[in-house]
Amino acid sequence: MSLRVAVCGSCGKASFPPPFLCPACGAREWREEEAASGTLEAVADRGEVRLGAVRLPQGPLAIARVEGDAEAGAEVSLSEDGDVPVARA
Amino acid sequence: MSRVTNAVIVGAAQSPYSRHPPEGTTTGSVLADAFVRVLEATGIRREEVDGLGVASFTLVPDRAIDLAWKLGLRPRWLMDDGNGGVSGIQLIQHAMRALDAGDAETIVLVSGDHFTREDFTRLVDNYNRTTAQYLAGIPHGGPNALFAMLTRQQMERHGLERADYGRLAVAQRRWAGLNPVAVYRDPITLEDYLAAPIVVEPLGRLDCVPVVSGADALVLRAGGDGVRIRALRALHNWDGQEGDGLQTGLSQIAEGLFADAGAGPEEMDVVSVYDDYPAMALAQLVDLGYVPDGDLSRFLRERIDEGRMALNTSGGQLSAGQAGTAGGTIGLVEAVAQLLGQAGDRQVSNARLALVTGYGMVLYRYGGCANAIVLEGPS
Repeated sequence: MSLRVAVCGSCGKASFPPPFLCPACGAREWREEEAASGTLEAVADRGEVRLGAVRLPQGPLAIARVEGDAEAGAEVSLSEDGDVPVARA
Repeated sequence: MSRVTNAVIVGAAQSPYSRHPPEGTTTGSVLADAFVRVLEATGIRREEVDGLGVASFTLVPDRAIDLAWKLGLRPRWLMDDGNGGVSGIQLIQHAMRALDAGDAETIVLVSGDHFTREDFTRLVDNYNRTTAQYLAGIPHGGPNALFAMLTRQQMERHGLERADYGRLAVAQRRWAGLNPVAVYRDPITLEDYLAAPIVVEPLGRLDCVPVVSGADALVLRAGGDGVRIRALRALHNWDGQEGDGLQTGLSQIAEGLFADAGAGPEEMDVVSVYDDYPAMALAQLVDLGYVPDGDLSRFLRERIDEGRMALNTSGGQLSAGQAGTAGGTIGLVEAVAQLLGQAGDRQVSNARLALVTGYGMVLYRYGGCANAIVLEGPS
């Protein structure tokens, strides 16, 4: 139960979603790290579904489906539904 | 000040925007209508047109060459641009160089869309591959939820309330009332704005652009009389989507833009900023230097509410409508009309300089593209 994050094999910069070239150093070798949890920074309630911007421990901000009633500022656990990030309180 | 180009914009036209276009309307037909109208407006004959630039989301699988064929053109310069909210200024950036280099003498730029229900669903879920892969499955339902989060962050940072954004919507609707081709012209009050149904908190219906069918067109020539281009700058993907989304690439190009123009922000008689959402219109105004003390609430009360700034004088996309990619040209059409003294009831007196911005192309969390142009009317 975690979210896959691309980390540059050369300089260690993390990206989400994964790019082709590292935005910092231009390298193209990647390793995968896991983000088990993150911090919810913003939430949007569409009624049928809630979206949130989750700050990953590695740095990037991911847009996730928010399950449950977590509000901005909350620590959330992360998982994936296909490629879609899912955050739970 | 050195002139950035000898090319001039000789005229602009719109194929009327419509919420409910007549049966048989296609993207090609609205682009063709804008083409015909801009020739009528400028008195230029079809045979003189030797360049064509096209911006559209829904013309696919057709491209600029298909439109050229169906319009009976034999262009020496031909270009497609799919970059939404920056496409109008983007096409000018290329067209003015082509005209300076002699690749063409008379270029028509058209942009617009007609959405079927299927077109719109496809655009929302497949705006780019990142959207299709990482957002559509949430389901994110299009850009409203993303900009709702940005708006909330801007509210917290600047101490804004929903009513503050309402002042922009109300002011633009006031201008739209003077624009016979705006789709929404009836005046609204702050109370109307606040009472409109919530789309995604804090965005209400009057924070979201009405999707319409329609198209815009501009004609550029290699020289002669017309609207001059004093400055044009662009910076795309300036922060790699790693920022907060409330600062655009305009923040990086504003200083150079106004230096090229030989005039500052307060010397602009007419301003059009890309208004996909009020929060992003405000973000751009901050980036351009219109709110030097950062007090957006006061800016909205004193400059916008009281009508002291000629901003988005067509009504903008919020009231005149967003005809897809034409959203990247609507501000240019309005600026050209104002500078040529053709803006009718909403004519800004003695309008000589105009600033127009482009913004958009949501890459993941917010728009990745930004550009801006300063135009000068004929003396």
